[in-house]
Amino acid sequence: MDEPVIANVATIVGGGLCVSSEDGQKVHDKIIPLLREGRKVALSFEGVETVISAFLNAAVGQLYGEFPEDRIRELLTVRDISTDDIAIMKRVVENAKRYFANKQTYDEAWKGVVGDDEE
Amino acid sequence: MLSRITFFMIYALPSISNTKSGFDALALLAKSSSSLKFSDLEVDFKNCSFFAANMAAVLGAVLGRIELAFNTVRIVNVPEKVQTILRKNEFLKGFDFETLSDSNGTTLPFRRIQLDDTTRFDGYIRRHVRGKGIPIMSEALSSVFKRKLYEVFENAAIHSNSEMGVCCCGQYFPNKQCLDITIADAGIGIRQNVRRHLHNNDISSLDALRWALQEGHSTKTGPHPGGLGLQFLKEFIQKNGGRIRIASRLGYYIFYRGNETFSKLAADLPGTAVTISINTADTTEYCLNSEVSADEIF
Repeated sequence: MDEPVIANVATIVGGGLCVSSEDGQKVHDKIIPLLREGRKVALSFEGVETVISAFLNAAVGQLYGEFPEDRIRELLTVRDISTDDIAIMKRVVENAKRYFANKQTYDEAWKGVVGDDEE
Repeated sequence: MLSRITFFMIYALPSISNTKSGFDALALLAKSSSSLKFSDLEVDFKNCSFFAANMAAVLGAVLGRIELAFNTVRIVNVPEKVQTILRKNEFLKGFDFETLSDSNGTTLPFRRIQLDDTTRFDGYIRRHVRGKGIPIMSEALSSVFKRKLYEVFENAAIHSNSEMGVCCCGQYFPNKQCLDITIADAGIGIRQNVRRHLHNNDISSLDALRWALQEGHSTKTGPHPGGLGLQFLKEFIQKNGGRIRIASRLGYYIFYRGNETFSKLAADLPGTAVTISINTADTTEYCLNSEVSADEIF
């Protein structure tokens, strides 16, 4: 059976605080070569104390701009993650799916907006 | 031979409350001194009979920006009551006033933290935010509140381009059962970020704020989605019964009990200031119940 490679987030980041998008990018950069080779990856959150959406956007959210949804579902799993962090990650993933599906439309609507005169 | 012209400016600061009028007054200070370079600014507190402690973060950001333009800033004629507040929270330490001991343990001291120094910000949260009557909560809630503060800090780190970092300051009010904390930068502000992102230089500060506050909207460059931090903050504050105030350039926003109000500031306040007011009497059993298992995330 194809056992996933375990990528420990706290080890990659160098601690339990996952609160910067820079650190999220480190996680992304670590797992992307594996995913591109078609290898399964299990992201382990053992030792992670605090995680925020900005971190997860960089670590995981941007994958939806690089791979189709079903490919991510096939290759990527998470483990050792708290219920709170599952809830946040789910929101990040749903947001990322919408972002990459609708990006053009979102921005077009605001391009013609003209506000009050300002300095 | 060219010589540099040095100006000496005196600015009388009025009382500064944790409301729109306080932000208006600090925006007017920023505007009045915006063209000063290599000059002296004296901020005269003789008309300032009250100063909301957390607003020291905003004043710190405004004065920090002035100092970055090679100006010297002095603070004078501070009334005793105001001095007590601003010496206890150590804001005046940077202007050669001695600090006063925070014997009541209700102060979140003024600190300036560089944008890449998450360790120092973490230390600030751990040391000064806990134990100040944060709502009785489970481990889950404790981590939720900390998370929101990190989201705000990281927003500044990603978007502000603030050379001087962020200023943090806060105050706990045991009688009102309320804790106010402000994180302020003097960077480029929400308007410039949004204008750049949408390639529309006509967007006003208020429209930029409206855009930025919508879930999923982010001006982050690069292939990152974003735009959840403020949404999560709103959801938390809605449950908690607290308040969010955001001031950026000419825009001012309040979120309270599900209602959002947008209004225009009296002048251009550089950067962005976010104030979170927490209801510390909240005894909600926070628990981010996820109906989703780990297998269903993607």
